[in-house]
Amino acid sequence: MSTLQLWGQYLPQFLAGLVVSLQLTGAALVLALALGTLLVLARTGRIRILAAIATGYVEVFRAVPVLVLLFTAYYSLAQLGLRLPGFWAGVVALGAFYGTLYGEDMRSGLQSVDPGQREAAVALGLSNGAVMRRVVLPQAFLAFLPPGTNELSNLIKDTSLVLTIGVTDLMFQANAAAAATFQPMDMFLLAGVVYFAFYILLSRILARWELNVQRRRS
Amino acid sequence: MHVVALYWQAIVDGGGVDLELTAIAVAVSVVVGILAAVGRIYGGKLLGGAITVYVEIIRGLPPILQLFIIYFGLSQFQINLSSFSAGLLWLVLYGVGYAVEIFRAGIEAVSVGQREAADALGLTRVQALRKIILPQAWMVMLPSLMTFLVLQVKNTTLLYLVGIADIMYQARLGTSATEQPAIMYGMAAIAYLIINLTLSRIGSTLERRQALYR
Repeated sequence: MSTLQLWGQYLPQFLAGLVVSLQLTGAALVLALALGTLLVLARTGRIRILAAIATGYVEVFRAVPVLVLLFTAYYSLAQLGLRLPGFWAGVVALGAFYGTLYGEDMRSGLQSVDPGQREAAVALGLSNGAVMRRVVLPQAFLAFLPPGTNELSNLIKDTSLVLTIGVTDLMFQANAAAAATFQPMDMFLLAGVVYFAFYILLSRILARWELNVQRRRS
Repeated sequence: MHVVALYWQAIVDGGGVDLELTAIAVAVSVVVGILAAVGRIYGGKLLGGAITVYVEIIRGLPPILQLFIIYFGLSQFQINLSSFSAGLLWLVLYGVGYAVEIFRAGIEAVSVGQREAADALGLTRVQALRKIILPQAWMVMLPSLMTFLVLQVKNTTLLYLVGIADIMYQARLGTSATEQPAIMYGMAAIAYLIINLTLSRIGSTLERRQALYR
């Protein structure tokens, strides 16, 4: 069979895999953003012990490879009595790692806001909540966007790791098709085209969104 | 606990393999990366464009897929690489894609005035790069280079998939023999933690020392 015919035959399977990859990305992103927010709150808050725990967490989870986290979430937790399905093990591992990155991005976003802005808002008589909501956060968000979107495209690529624990994502489908057809290059190239098309599409959309946000704010 | 005593040597051996591969790959990709960054900045539209496309492809495809294309994909054309050479080749190709961007950013961070001054003094382009631009770019790049080193150590975890006996490979072997994943992957995590935290400590020490010369 010619390569194109093969591609046509396997494309539906690949797209089904892409859907799983995207669900994984979405769930992991939600977890990572929530965790990142908690980490920032803990690190900038007044409770020393929480700040120390958050700092330790960031140091450790940034230094351990995602694959080790994934196997820990899937195999080690099962041994300890918490049996997660592959998909959720992937969400936990990716969320736990990307939470540290998002936490750092948010922190540097907050730090990029000039202290004068906060002081001016206070001097104008805004309440603490209003200072945060109307002055600090909108500016911090602008600074957070570029590294944040960059992290998102890395997250999508890292979802491919769940192949190793048998979650049927795009990479898994490509690998299965490669084994079934004995034409690994053809199948992996098709997967590459799907990933790459998605990567380009997403980065264009995000770049446009960033530009829009910036324009509206300035 | 005797599982730890039994397997720590295997994990350490695996760490040796990881570090060896990382060191070779990073050394090669730094050299090629500098050349490619210079090519991207000064090389005109065609060369610069080709390098940009290469960087986009490396950044756009998942690492696992790149590794599988090299190891399994090429076998379709009767190009059968050994595990070690496929793993190393991937680390180098991937590393070059990242190193180019680091060096480009570093070189472009040096002010145009410096380049013009070197021109005005009659230095050739190579002299200007070696004596004026790269030494200053070096300071800008140091943090990203250390991040890059840590990234490559993490990337070696994928190499067990093509049969290289790295830390992950040993941990999986140990897991199937002992059925103690918590201990085996815990040991693997600690091994990576030690390597990567040491690397980032060295990085911040270097940075502080470099800052003194400013």
